[in-house]
Amino acid sequence: MAVSEQAQPVSGAVRGRQRRAREEELLVWPDLVFIEFIAAVLFTITLAILSVLVDAVLLDRANPAITPNPSKAPWYFLNLQELLLHMHPALAGVIVPTIALIALGAIPYFDTSSDGQGEWLSTPRAWANLIVGSIVGFFGTLLLIFYDASMHVRLYEWVANPGKSKFLSSGELDPSFNGWPESLAFLKSLRSIETELSWPDALTSIPLGEKVLRTDLLGLPAIPLEINVAKVIVEQIIPVSTMIGLPILLSIAAWKVGLAQTKRDHMILQFSGFIAVFVILTIIGTFFRGEGLELVPYTIYSHG
Amino acid sequence: MATGEQPRGQTLGDRLYDFAFKNRVWKSIFRSGYPNTPRNQMLAVATNVFLHLHPTRIHRTHVKITHTFCLGGLSFFLFLGLTITGVLLMFYYVPSIERAYGDILRLETDVRFGQLLRNLHRWMAHGMVLTVLMHMMRVFYTGAYKPPREFNWVVGVVLLVLTLLLSFTGYLLPWDQLALWAITVGTNMVGSAPILGEPNRFVLVGGFQVGQAALIRFYTLHVIGLPLIAAIFMAVHFWRIRRDGGLARPL
Ligand code: HEM
Repeated sequence: MAVSEQAQPVSGAVRGRQRRAREEELLVWPDLVFIEFIAAVLFTITLAILSVLVDAVLLDRANPAITPNPSKAPWYFLNLQELLLHMHPALAGVIVPTIALIALGAIPYFDTSSDGQGEWLSTPRAWANLIVGSIVGFFGTLLLIFYDASMHVRLYEWVANPGKSKFLSSGELDPSFNGWPESLAFLKSLRSIETELSWPDALTSIPLGEKVLRTDLLGLPAIPLEINVAKVIVEQIIPVSTMIGLPILLSIAAWKVGLAQTKRDHMILQFSGFIAVFVILTIIGTFFRGEGLELVPYTIYSHG
Repeated sequence: MATGEQPRGQTLGDRLYDFAFKNRVWKSIFRSGYPNTPRNQMLAVATNVFLHLHPTRIHRTHVKITHTFCLGGLSFFLFLGLTITGVLLMFYYVPSIERAYGDILRLETDVRFGQLLRNLHRWMAHGMVLTVLMHMMRVFYTGAYKPPREFNWVVGVVLLVLTLLLSFTGYLLPWDQLALWAITVGTNMVGSAPILGEPNRFVLVGGFQVGQAALIRFYTLHVIGLPLIAAIFMAVHFWRIRRDGGLARPL
């Protein structure tokens, strides 16, 4: 219900603006209150039906002596639990989520232009950036997970040995089986870089002693540091460079081909990528991590 | 009690209307008359503490469902629903590791509508995480975080964290295997932080493993600490929407 007749502008300069604004305005009661009411009613009905049909789970009484396999966090943290499988726990459990939240909060301080404000995806290349960002984030992450689960090794052995199994009927290894080449064993998964290459001992245990991390100054127990370069590379350097490097590469590529030209373009590209990564990590963590957190289809709550 | 100011020839409807809305009781509660004229409609919003979260007028495009999909409003609605069902659940639940699990079982079997109550609370909690995430996406894709709304976006991120924490602390309370181990996995992640992780985990769990101390901490945070903080941040969030000139519009 427009109320233009209510507006009584005073000066000429203000009049034009005010009249335009007033004519495009509606009264909150009834127009908005009504919609809110309907939305609340519809939602209540949906939730009531859902609650009648589907019961909340309740498993056996908590027992610290029996660890279910797999043990999983609530679904909205399964993305982090999935990350945990691929990098140092401090990175996945604390540092990455903290930085992600800070970066999320900082979005408006990076993108201060008013392009595309107040309308759905209204800048010229918005949709293209959304789609490219989502696809790259989703499938890029999926490929990385597949790599760490040695899917490429399985694929190679399947293609190279048509109709053959790795084992003879007696259960022994088949000598004519074309396995993944030994010389490339370090490419089987991320962890194989540490386990399949012969690192010199001088690099895998560098004792730094208790005088580097002075936790004793904080009144905490002193931590003797020993650096394993192979571990640091696998658990920290590669994951960090992947998580920082790939998004930067994506932005550079999008900029080169003219897909992302403005700050808003880059924001949409990166945010969409982030959401897609979040989604695929959550999906994998929820539905495709079974016993021992192996990459297999998994039905939630199937464990007792 | 009709006012008697009407000219003769009143219909029955008019009399009923006068009886319902032009009496002392109605007027003592609602300062304005029944909201059927623009003036009364604006007064209805402006003089009501709850509706006053809104402005009295709103831009045409913002009433379109597809602009917001009501997601922020639904998040708030779920928060209110969770508060109501949560208070009812508190009647039946004692946060002790001896009783908690049995209380939930009894709630499901002995209490009339107890299972329904628990289901509602659970689904609303999951739903709120989803609506808040989707609300964030809608705000992002409509470019509504841009100046002058930067700070309200930050308030929003805090609300997102609070929503997750509320859900996470509630997860432990049924004290079943799912609860215990999900919280064990989750709190171990905190413990993995360099240097300060383990002390932090110890404070959060109140010991080396998830037990009675953790249950009472999570319970207290879940039923009073976090809801209070969330309510304060929501108040700031809504206040800022008004102060920043309503929802974002193209310039
Ligand atoms: C408990 C969580 C939250 C509640 C209850 C809530 C509630 C609301 C409501 C009711 C609105 C009005 C418009 C609408 O319905 O979309 C709104 C707008 C807004 N919200 Fe939230 N919100 C929450 C979380 C968030 C989050 C996580 C963010 C972003 C990170 C955010 C950022 C904003 C911004 C910037 C606006 C202004 C939008 C505009 O001008 O168009 N909020 N919020």
